[in-house]
Amino acid sequence: MTEEVLQALLRALSFGTPLLLATLGGIVNERAGVVNLGVEGMMAVGALAAFGLASASGAWPMAVGLAALLGALAALLHGFVTLTLRANTYVSGLALSMLGLGVSGLLGKPYEGAFLFESAPELPFTLAAGGLAVLLWGVLFFTRPGLVLRSVGENPAAADALGIPVLAVRYLAVAFGGALAGVAGAFLSLAYQPAWTDGMTGGLGWIAVALVIFSGWHPLRAVLGAVFFGLLYYLQFRLQSQSQVPTELFAAMPYLLVVGVLALAGVRRSRGAAPAALGRSYQRGER
Amino acid sequence: MRRHGWWLTLLVLGLCSAAQAEEKKFKACFIYVGPVGDIGWSYAHDEARKLALKELPWLETQYVESVPEGQALPVIDRLVKGGCKAVFTTSFGFMDQTLEAAKKYPEVVFAHATGFKRAPNMATYMADFYQLYYLNGLMAGALTKTGKVGYVAAFPIPELKRHISAFALGVRAVNPEATVNLKWINAWVSPTKAREAAEALMAEGNDVLAFTEDTATVVQAAGRKKVPVFAHYSPMYRFSPDFVVSGQLVHWEKIYIDFLKKVREGAYAPGKLQDVDYWWLLHEGAVELGTQPGMPINPKWVDALKKAQMTVEGKPVSVHDRVMALLKDMSSSKPSFDPFQGPLTDRQGKARVPAGKGMSIQELNQMQWVVPGVVGPVADEPQ
Repeated sequence: MTEEVLQALLRALSFGTPLLLATLGGIVNERAGVVNLGVEGMMAVGALAAFGLASASGAWPMAVGLAALLGALAALLHGFVTLTLRANTYVSGLALSMLGLGVSGLLGKPYEGAFLFESAPELPFTLAAGGLAVLLWGVLFFTRPGLVLRSVGENPAAADALGIPVLAVRYLAVAFGGALAGVAGAFLSLAYQPAWTDGMTGGLGWIAVALVIFSGWHPLRAVLGAVFFGLLYYLQFRLQSQSQVPTELFAAMPYLLVVGVLALAGVRRSRGAAPAALGRSYQRGER
Repeated sequence: MRRHGWWLTLLVLGLCSAAQAEEKKFKACFIYVGPVGDIGWSYAHDEARKLALKELPWLETQYVESVPEGQALPVIDRLVKGGCKAVFTTSFGFMDQTLEAAKKYPEVVFAHATGFKRAPNMATYMADFYQLYYLNGLMAGALTKTGKVGYVAAFPIPELKRHISAFALGVRAVNPEATVNLKWINAWVSPTKAREAAEALMAEGNDVLAFTEDTATVVQAAGRKKVPVFAHYSPMYRFSPDFVVSGQLVHWEKIYIDFLKKVREGAYAPGKLQDVDYWWLLHEGAVELGTQPGMPINPKWVDALKKAQMTVEGKPVSVHDRVMALLKDMSSSKPSFDPFQGPLTDRQGKARVPAGKGMSIQELNQMQWVVPGVVGPVADEPQ
């Protein structure tokens, strides 16, 4: 029995690792007030980039770095469209998702069916993700940079009045979010399934988008959320044929929970812990 | 005059060769449901397209990948306008739209993979694995120590029920107490689902795995835990050279080349396709046993399979020899063995195939029941 629980927990940690990485990235950019629905696309780009470099050089830490870089660049594209050009955040994010999936599929053609002889270990990713969650919690709530980031997401006008470069902070936060999504993708193609397949992110990015909300924009709760969602994902297969509960229900659970949390927040007539200026563009002098 | 003669000759020659080039090419188009890089279904069809292109010098092809089921019609419109004379639609979900297109373009030849609806200008075709699944089942039955064989399954459609049942019949022919345990992922391509489903099966004590999903994920996941596994659809030996035992390979090109030749010769002109249904198996070379071409069984597993014994008609035989004997028999022009030979009951105990009888292609294509030994929920199973 204990072995069963341990096994389930191990799976939850493994599957939860890319979720946590992408979610932490999402928390940071949303804390700065920017919504980025392009997580799935940035993950796909990261997964391909990491796989390409690792299969050429065998050096997976470098591959992770490249994935982070390209994830950040993809996110900056979104940043440019929404922050500078002030286009619709949601449409731009969706477009980035499609773009990332499409471009990675196209450029990934030569790698289709390829795999890594030496897969990267999962543990370092998991530990790094957990450590990062704690670090971000500390930075966000107990340091001045954290305060700056949050104030940009809560009240950009006030932050601006205090002399905080709102746009620069938002750009940085967006790039950080993209970098982590890229690393999440790298985890998938280097460790979780050390091969490249078009569409291998399989909707994980969307779960991460949901997890940002589910975790209430809090890094530590994101850890619980990622493990919990990972567990649900595993259980939908583990409990098949053993429980009377339809497993489709487990598959739908993450989204049901998010809807539930949002509904509850709505009933309480607040937006939960959502940053007040989330998803709204800011320009000096406008209200 | 002499100068004119030169010009005229050149002109005539030029016209002739232009006309020849015009007549030479025949355009066949392919519609795939997945990306050609899925290492599975669509990949296999596209490899076959390339081989047909190599084999038939008069052929030119075009393909459209990742076409969602239900959106085939506009794609067909575009392809026909682009000059396609034959259109292959390669997913079950394209069936009704292909039929619609066949009515709309009576001069174009259509062929639909895995379906059962035909028209005067629309044929159907399938390269089926059920014989191979039986053979893989024999090997799985020999290799399981726990008596539990795991199966990661895509969708509960007749094709999978047929394959899983053939597999389970094989497993039980060697090990009558063994079970085939299912996990459904409800996706053709989903590495994350396939991975977790495989992990769940191994956590439950299944010590041999097989699957229907279009990536090599299950092979990799099993290899990491040193669990023997059977590859599916494409050459997956390289993904886990120590633990892939055998598997199923497809050769759609055998069908494509035969079909296109007959279209070219006029035997399969529009109006003559109402009864053309390819159901090609081992004998036609449309499928092959193994993890990669030319390797029916991974040499690393031959000894274990030679040691394993089973009883055939009262006599002990090694599983390895049985597999090889049946492979030879089923590859012959008149196989004496068929996995679905009666008497067979479904897992509820209801008689399904009487003694001495087999199943017709139509029955195999519409099979909703599964055989005893299959464990797990099965949608649309007759009670």
